[in-house]
Amino acid sequence: MVRFFKELGHYLDVTVHVIKMAFMTIIEYPSNIAGWLISNPLQFIMGFAIIKFVVESFGQINGWTYGQLAFLYGLSVISHALSMIFFVQGWFMGYFVIEGEFDRYLTRPLGVLYQFFFTNINIFGITDLIPGILVFIYGCVKCHVVVSPLFVIQIIIMLVGATFIRGGIYILLGSTSFHTRSAVDFGQYTQEIMDKTTMYPLSMYPESMQFILTYLIPIGWVSFYPVSSLLGVEAKFSGLVIPFVTLAVGFIVMLIAGAYFNFGLRKYESAGN
Amino acid sequence: MIDVENLCKDYVLKSKEPGLKGAMKGLVKPNHKIIHAVKDLSFHIDTGEIVGFIGPNGAGKSTTIKMMSGILTPTQGQVLIDGRNISKHRKEVVKDIGVVFGQRSQLNWDLRLGESFELLKHIYQINQKEYDKILDELDQILGIKELLDKPVRQMSLGQRVKGDLVASMIHSPKVLFLDEPTIGLDVSAKYALRKFIKEINKVRHTTVILTTHDLGDIQELCERLIVINNGVLMEDGNLSEIVDRIAPYKTLVVEYYDEVAPEHTRCKLIAQDGNVAKYRFMKNDVTAAEIIADLSKEKTIKDVSIEETGIDDIIKIVYGA
Repeated sequence: MVRFFKELGHYLDVTVHVIKMAFMTIIEYPSNIAGWLISNPLQFIMGFAIIKFVVESFGQINGWTYGQLAFLYGLSVISHALSMIFFVQGWFMGYFVIEGEFDRYLTRPLGVLYQFFFTNINIFGITDLIPGILVFIYGCVKCHVVVSPLFVIQIIIMLVGATFIRGGIYILLGSTSFHTRSAVDFGQYTQEIMDKTTMYPLSMYPESMQFILTYLIPIGWVSFYPVSSLLGVEAKFSGLVIPFVTLAVGFIVMLIAGAYFNFGLRKYESAGN
Repeated sequence: MIDVENLCKDYVLKSKEPGLKGAMKGLVKPNHKIIHAVKDLSFHIDTGEIVGFIGPNGAGKSTTIKMMSGILTPTQGQVLIDGRNISKHRKEVVKDIGVVFGQRSQLNWDLRLGESFELLKHIYQINQKEYDKILDELDQILGIKELLDKPVRQMSLGQRVKGDLVASMIHSPKVLFLDEPTIGLDVSAKYALRKFIKEINKVRHTTVILTTHDLGDIQELCERLIVINNGVLMEDGNLSEIVDRIAPYKTLVVEYYDEVAPEHTRCKLIAQDGNVAKYRFMKNDVTAAEIIADLSKEKTIKDVSIEETGIDDIIKIVYGA
């Protein structure tokens, strides 16, 4: 037990330092900041403007009102932003495998996955977080949500779970590079699919797609199911526990991803000098 | 300190036939070929030794050193550092090792050099007093403090290697692994690196294991050589022992006044170029003086010299050149 807390303290200490370094790196290249601050939020605000246009033209999407869609869209962008901050490196795992960049993590006394993600923590992901929070708050107001402590806890729990599901999927896709030994960047495809399936109601899609996205690739749990249960729209699954189901699914995906990563790491071949 | 026991590493190679047809065939019926990069390697290294791994490119040196430092998982066999298996207890055991791999830097490209060391201070949980002490000590050998505020991206290769050496020693490891550390360095940077290795070995009794193609590194640093070729241990011992074993001969160069060189029963005339003849003789068998005496009876000798077999001959023999 003492050892566990000592180790936890060690990881926290390194994490704090690594975040400090990430800020130092951002300050080192100040002109990048402006670019990100403009382009990233704009991308999501535009996306939301399209939803607004569609809803205003057609009334509702599958029984979802404009406010409810904003709520869903906002939460989806928030978990996307969190996954960008902590797990975006997963998109580039193939490059690390081919170039032998895991060597340095393997010779240091910390978990390899932890070092891979946290020593490259992407503080710029915050620029995605801001539009997400704005749209989410807008959605809360439109839906007249009562902000109780329970509501806050449910939102936090589902966001942690959703971030884990996204991160786990990045790890799973990235870890295939250990076996294929090719540096394919899955980022673009993953984001396309994730955006289309988490920002809009999943019920838009055919039954078979919904089945796959619920049980096989559990993207439905990232935002659709917890939000439909929270707001009581088309609730296929409902109850207070639904956000916790998202969290549990997140843990399971992460565990499988971690195991698959470690399996791949045993086949890691480094790279010649 | 380090025990390498029956170490093996296999790679699977997909061999392909030429052209599109070959590529299609490889897709349907892949032709897997197992490459034995390292075959049944065993040796022991004591605390405080400086051991040089030599062998041609692709001999298995890097693969071996990467298994020894926990980067690659052996197919068979094990590496024990202080009695602990590095692939089973990686996080524990790597606290005792430092690694510098050729031109692959562990420094943070974007920030000043000092930040990379600060991060390692947190990763290895070094307290401030200890950290200051080791940095002072390494500064005396390498003069690193003047570089602390310089961004790594603006450093020369020599400066970056200095930075990497300090980074690898900042947690006072018992073992330091270096994979072709002098590659691409100029004379003065090489000198600084060799001095550094000698100093940390003398003062801190750090065990040093390096691979190199540089004869200077071997002659300056390594009391012990491990020669690997085709994944097999060929020789293990100190330089003069290996020379005696692989090439127990010297070459006598004799210059005559004309182009007719006499033969000698106890040595072999291996080359003749105009007035100059080269004789190879076994060191234990006969002395150069005896041969010169015999030859001078037959012909008048203008000049003689003796070529010792050195490390470069050993490398030529081992590398099959």
